[in-house]
Amino acid sequence: MDDETFLLLLLSDSNLPTGSFVASSGFESYIKHGFGGDQNNRTIMFMRDSINAYARSALAFVSDTHRIVQDVHRDVEQGSEQKSDFDKYLQKIKEVDDLYDAMTLNDVTKRASKSQGVALLTLYSKGLTPPLAFTGVKNRKEIEIEVNSYMASLVAQYKSLVRAESAPGHLPICWGILTGALGLTLERSQYLHIFLHARSLLSASVRLNEIGPYNAQQTLLHISRSVIEAAVVRCKDLRTGIPSSTGTESDQPDGVDDKSRGPANTWPLGEILAARHDLQHSRIFNS
Amino acid sequence: MPGSSTSISKIQAGGGRITLSSHGGKAWISEFSATYPLKLLSPRLSDNAVAIVYVLTYGGGLVGGDCIELTVNVESATKLLLLSQGSTKVFKDRPQQRLASVQRSDHASRSTPGQASATLQNMNFTVSSQAALFLLPDPVTCFRSASYSQIQTFHASKDATLVILDWITSGRKSLGEDWVLSRYYSVNEVLIAGKRVAKDVMLLENNEFNSDSRLNRSLAEKLSPFACYATVILRGPLVEETIVQLTTRYGGISIMQRKAPEDLLWSLSSIGSDKENGVVVRVAGKETEMVKDWLKNTLRSLEQHIGVDVYRRAFV
Repeated sequence: MDDETFLLLLLSDSNLPTGSFVASSGFESYIKHGFGGDQNNRTIMFMRDSINAYARSALAFVSDTHRIVQDVHRDVEQGSEQKSDFDKYLQKIKEVDDLYDAMTLNDVTKRASKSQGVALLTLYSKGLTPPLAFTGVKNRKEIEIEVNSYMASLVAQYKSLVRAESAPGHLPICWGILTGALGLTLERSQYLHIFLHARSLLSASVRLNEIGPYNAQQTLLHISRSVIEAAVVRCKDLRTGIPSSTGTESDQPDGVDDKSRGPANTWPLGEILAARHDLQHSRIFNS
Repeated sequence: MPGSSTSISKIQAGGGRITLSSHGGKAWISEFSATYPLKLLSPRLSDNAVAIVYVLTYGGGLVGGDCIELTVNVESATKLLLLSQGSTKVFKDRPQQRLASVQRSDHASRSTPGQASATLQNMNFTVSSQAALFLLPDPVTCFRSASYSQIQTFHASKDATLVILDWITSGRKSLGEDWVLSRYYSVNEVLIAGKRVAKDVMLLENNEFNSDSRLNRSLAEKLSPFACYATVILRGPLVEETIVQLTTRYGGISIMQRKAPEDLLWSLSSIGSDKENGVVVRVAGKETEMVKDWLKNTLRSLEQHIGVDVYRRAFV
């Protein structure tokens, strides 16, 4: 089994401590406010709109952060002088993070995003870096060790920025950091992120008594898949507009390109309902 | 009064400039120009030194290929109220441009054939220290197959006040239009003391493609049952009271399980983590009138800053 597949299996584990368990992505509020009609189709309807909306607003941030971390990989592997300039990378990531914060004008979504974001950084530091006293069974190449140690420092330093409230630490950015640090490809990272969003939604639906556990798996396998794929295909080339350090691709030189290539909110109804989550008299989810 | 700059800025088709200046406690409009199809009307100064300007387009609507570029400067200690006269109607893509047209701007002439027929409004606002901008237009209505983009950028000083209303309705009810526009793209970007604090981007499209057609959702389906969506950005000294009122009201709402959606829903969120950045209000209503009434009542405390008579002109 290759490294990438093993990583995918690991990251898809529902027991992974990511804090997504307490988030319904606005579904609980949607139901409480009387949307979706009768229970039969509610989950599928919400899932479609939510996946499409989330992909369009967040995927560009996953992608651009991932690219920055890929740049770190490249600089370290090539022994480039740039690699010692941590601050530069941190600032670039922070720029993407700040933009997501400015574009996500929704207190509930931001709260959920930040708590899940920092959980991912903690997951990397405490759960996915090589254990200190253990040199490993395989004979790791020296460069791999150097890259891993670099990544560990990068993540630790970014997490400090977040703890000090100098950077927001939003979920799409932290996912980009995590998967970039682990060496997962951009395509896999994008796909997995949207897949996990869908799965988390279905899990919330089960806990809200909307669908049963078997029905949830059926939906995930036979219905969610095409929605996830369509959303990823549509949003995989979106950029935030913040130029990467390579600057080789066209990074939206003028505002005209923004309209088709940038992140956007495409479901204002979902936005309002998600923001109103805390107005529910009683609720079982945090968001 | 002479213009505030030594050279008169060149204006392209659909271009416009408004500058509100003040000196020794007196406010006056020092720059005021527009070219077809943009039209600026009736600049006047009320008793409270609030300048009112109506922003319109010839024909009462925008057609494919129209490109409006407006630059607004609200200088220190002045207040500007920008209104429209009736909903901004956006007609669908048309290949030909307007017959009476001056030199088109760079944007319009560089567009590719596919893009040339879309409509664009680009507005830049600078709001200086202790100044206030009240942008309270009527909603945009995109007709069947219309394609519209609007980019509004606000550069505000730390103690400037902004009230920005951006709203859209579902179409012409009489023709049964229910969110049948082709594309609506609206950006509101707010920078305070040079730092970007908010960038609200709304994109509504009717071109969703899914290989399994059962999963395609039309815009009408995902926005239902509401026919009007509004966003209001509020920040600055003159709206502190309004924000407190909104926060209190919002905190008092308690939702129990409902069988069906309410007629009107609204949400409140803060901008960034600094209170000074202000708030964003989003409203959705089954009818435009409901949203209009809600906005009119909610923003009523602005009367103390611009006067009852002036406030009455908004939300007519």
